Parts: sequence; C-alpha cells; structure tokens
Amino acid sequence: MTSVHPNSTTTTRFARRFLISLSRMRRPITLGPPSDEEVCRRTRRIKLAAYSSMARAVGSRRAWSRALLLKVRNRVRFQGILRNRFLASKKKRVIKRNKASGEMNKTDMLRKLVPGGETMDICGLLEETAHYMASLATQVKVMQSIVDQYSK
Amino acid sequence: MNRALLPEMLHCTDMTVPEKQRARFKWQPEQQQQQPQDSFFGDLSGVFHLQQHQLQGFQGDLGEVVTRSVKPDPALMDNGWPDLVGFGPCGYGNNNGSGFDINYAISRTSSCPPAVAEAAVDAAVLANGREPVVSEKLSSGVGRESLKKRKIDKVQNNTKVVAEDDSRDKRIKGCGEEGESKFIEKNNNKSSTTSKNSNKENSAETSKDNSKVTEVQKPEYIHVRVRRGQATDSHSLAERVRREKISERMKYLQDLVPGCNKITGKAGMLDEIINYVQSLQRQVEFLSMKLAAVNPRLDFNIDNLFSKEAFPGCATNFPAIGMSSDMTNPAYLQFNPVQQQQRQQQQQPQQQLVTCCGLDMGINPPDMGLRRTISAPVSIPEMFIESSCFNQIQASSTWDADLQNLYNVAFDQGRSTSFPPQPFTGTIEASNLKMEM
Repeated sequence: MTSVHPNSTTTTRFARRFLISLSRMRRPITLGPPSDEEVCRRTRRIKLAAYSSMARAVGSRRAWSRALLLKVRNRVRFQGILRNRFLASKKKRVIKRNKASGEMNKTDMLRKLVPGGETMDICGLLEETAHYMASLATQVKVMQSIVDQYSK
Repeated sequence: MNRALLPEMLHCTDMTVPEKQRARFKWQPEQQQQQPQDSFFGDLSGVFHLQQHQLQGFQGDLGEVVTRSVKPDPALMDNGWPDLVGFGPCGYGNNNGSGFDINYAISRTSSCPPAVAEAAVDAAVLANGREPVVSEKLSSGVGRESLKKRKIDKVQNNTKVVAEDDSRDKRIKGCGEEGESKFIEKNNNKSSTTSKNSNKENSAETSKDNSKVTEVQKPEYIHVRVRRGQATDSHSLAERVRREKISERMKYLQDLVPGCNKITGKAGMLDEIINYVQSLQRQVEFLSMKLAAVNPRLDFNIDNLFSKEAFPGCATNFPAIGMSSDMTNPAYLQFNPVQQQQRQQQQQPQQQLVTCCGLDMGINPPDMGLRRTISAPVSIPEMFIESSCFNQIQASSTWDADLQNLYNVAFDQGRSTSFPPQPFTGTIEASNLKMEM
C-alpha cells in the first residue's frame, strides 16, 4: 500500500486550498460580535469548505474524495435532488445485507463515518479509512495553525 | 488445420498470437505422447489478446510463457487441465511493449505430459527475440508456478519438463517468436545459444528456478502458497487471501492510529479506528466553529494574498534547488517570519535557521518558535511550517527578493541540519493531537 503519510507538499496543498476557499467566503456584514446563528451558519460553511478543499486536494484518486465531492456538489447545486442512482441502489442493497445481521456492528459504523464507505467491501473500506484518516489529520493541522495564527 | 502450413506459420513473425498458438498446438501432438489436443485448439482461437494478461494453465504441450498481456478464454480455465502445472508467469514488471508474441510456459505436475515445462523453457529460450527477462521474472515465474493454487510437486514438474524438451526444440526454433518468458534470461545465461538446450540442462535449470522461488508480483491472479495441511480448494484459498489482505490493512491502520500498538485483534482495532475518525471529525467541526467566531474581525483577503504570494513562490523555488521540499519549505518559511520580526533585515540567517531548526517537536505549541534557541532534535514539525507560513500574513511585498536570498542561505543551512522528517510525522501528528485533545 502506498504510504499516506502527508509530507510538506501535501500539507501545503491542503493549506492553500483551504485558505483560498476561506477567502472566498463573504465577510460578515455586521460589525462587532456576530450573532449565534450567524456563527452557526459560518461554522457550517467553513466545515463544508474544509471538507471540500480536503477532497479537492486529494483529487479523484480516492473513493472517499470522490464521494465527498459528489456530496458537496449535490448539496450545493441541487439541494439533494441529483443523486447517483446506481450508487443509491447499490447502497440500499449493501445496507440491507448489513442490516440482516441484526445489530449495528463496527464495520457499519465505520462505513457511516468514511464518505463513500457504504458500498465498499471491508478490504477497500480499510484502505480508504487509512487515507481518509491521514487527510483528516492533515486538515486538522492546517486549521489548527490558522486558528493559532488568528488568535495571536 | 493444414499441417503443411505450420512451418511457414511458425516462421512468420507477424502472425497473431492465436494463430501461432493454434499452429503450435497442432504441431505438438505429433511429437508427444499426449492426448489429442484438438479440442483445446478450438478454445485457443481468439483467446489470447495481447493487451491483457492472466495466468493460465494449459494442457500438455503448451509450454509457452505467458507475458503480461494475455487474456485467456474463461473456458480454458475449466479445460481438462487440472493436472497441469501452470507457470503462467504473466505480468512481470517489465513492459514488453505491445505486439510481441506471447509464449506461454506452462508446466504442471502430476499427470501432465512431462514436456510441458521443458517446452516452456525451450520456447522461452528460443523465442527470446528481444527483451531479456529480468532474472527476477524467472524466479518469480518459477515462484508463481509453485504458488499455483494447487499443490505442486516440483520433482514431478522437473521430470515432465525434461520430456517435453525435445518436442519444444524444433518448434521453437522455427518459431522465431519474440516474447518474454521466465526462463529466457536464465537459459540465456546458462547456455550460450538457444539451440544448445538439452533436456537435462533445462530440467536442471528448471529445478534451479524452482528453488529460487521469490516474491511473486501480482497480476490479476493472486497466488497463494498453500501450506502443509491446509485446504486447497479455491474457496478456502480465496478466503485466506482475503483474510490476509484484511489483516495487512489492519496492521497498516494500526500504524496510523496513534496509541494502538498494544491493541491486538480486529474488534479492538476497529473500535480505536472508529473513535479516532470520530474525534478527527469533531475536531474539524470545532476548529471550523472557532474559525467562524474568529474570522469576522480579520480580513480573509490577507490569507488569499498570502497564499497567492507564498505558495507559488514555494513551488518555483523548490525545483530549482532540487532539495526535498521538506527541507526547503520549512527552512525558507522559517526565515521569513524571522525577517519580518526583525524588520525585514537579513541578519545572521544561519543562526536563525539553526534556531528554527532546533524546534522542539511539536510538543510546544507552534508559536513563532523562531525565537527559541534550542538544541532539540531537528526534525521540523509540520505544524511549525504552517504557523510560520501563516505568520507571513503581515508580510509586505518585498518578500520575493528577500525570499530568494533567504532561500539560498536556507538551503545551505538546511543541508547541514537536514533530518528526515518522515519518521517524525507520526509522532508529530500524535503529539499535536494530544495537544488538541
């Protein structure tokens, strides 16, 4: 398996994309402390930006990044109308198969966590999990340093 | 098929593979004591396609080395070849380029006509027109042979190889085919000319090949070594392969997730993995909340500006210097903040760089650790890179010229203080996470 340890260029890529997407966000109109709901709204948008920039930095190489990009695109454009029919049916089949076992075992939980994990077999799921974990860690680092930067 | 055509066909190098094989196969029965292969020839037609490869077991006289791009007819697999030992060396590392003929070297144990492997050897030897096969191919090919999903008797294999040699010789000489085969290189090494191969030689070589079983590279077929006492039917084998894959991935995940060294067993590992992923996602959410709260008072355009200036600068510099980005990036990034702190003068960059490099490993929060004077291990934590990056938000546009100078200096310094950052990555992440959690 190829190593998923992020090196400096990967981190830079993540950081750059995230910063660019952050900068595209519109500035708060009201001065002073923002209201709670404003903060909530911004939180959600920033979170979305974080995930999408992470997925875009990784590209289409990985199943999870593809799934993430698809989800983001659907959410942004069609508000959930557009769906990949094949994947939906496959997902249903897989979920039914899993549900047949009765309780929610750990594999199912992992599937829910990793984007695009519903339709994968265990082998692929583990590999995607590894890559997803590494990318998440990188993204967290990037965001942490931005926050630190701002809090200085 | 017309037997008279065969010699011509064999000499013709432009023949498509299926035709050649058909010709070859038809030729075989004349010289060997095998069962009639006519049914097989029918299967062969159109089976082999140069662009795909797959391992095959062939009956008797096949003795051709399968190179990477052979697409077998599925019907072939079920042919009455259960006893044959298939070499199926397909898909070894080297790319032969398209258009070459494929030799299949297949040898099987048990009741297989002995000549198979020998023939394969011969075919390989004589057919070696162009590309010598890497020796690893040989051994790996042999390895593959033994790794076939059935129990393989090597001794039997060798004897069978011997018998078939004779039949192979003539055919192969006429063949003039090119192609890679496992045995090509080995045989070429051993015998100066292809025609010199004798049965004994081939068998000896084959036995040597057999003894040199090495790691098998995996084309589409997965080879499993069957241990003594283990079931050998395809289902259990496939399951074993699957289980091994899963355990390999679990081990890899164990390295990724911090603090999982002591946990054994899939269930515990899965729990840890799930917890870790959930915690990472929660962290992202938390940090985005923080950013949402923090952002309003700062202008995001600065970030944009910064990223546009700094990162392209990085990108262009790195190839020029040719150092690993790990080294140069932190090096030059460290300089800039320092410079700005000291009002953009280039003072004693060397010392500063050493100072920067002496950063502690991420245990300390990534403040502008540039001011720190340390003798700590030099691996440059990635966190630090980011913090120093973002520190330049206040940078002026006079960066670029300074950057170039600094970069060169940093390069020199970096070289002296370079440490491989990779091994530290895991610990960096771990320690950072511990900080955050």
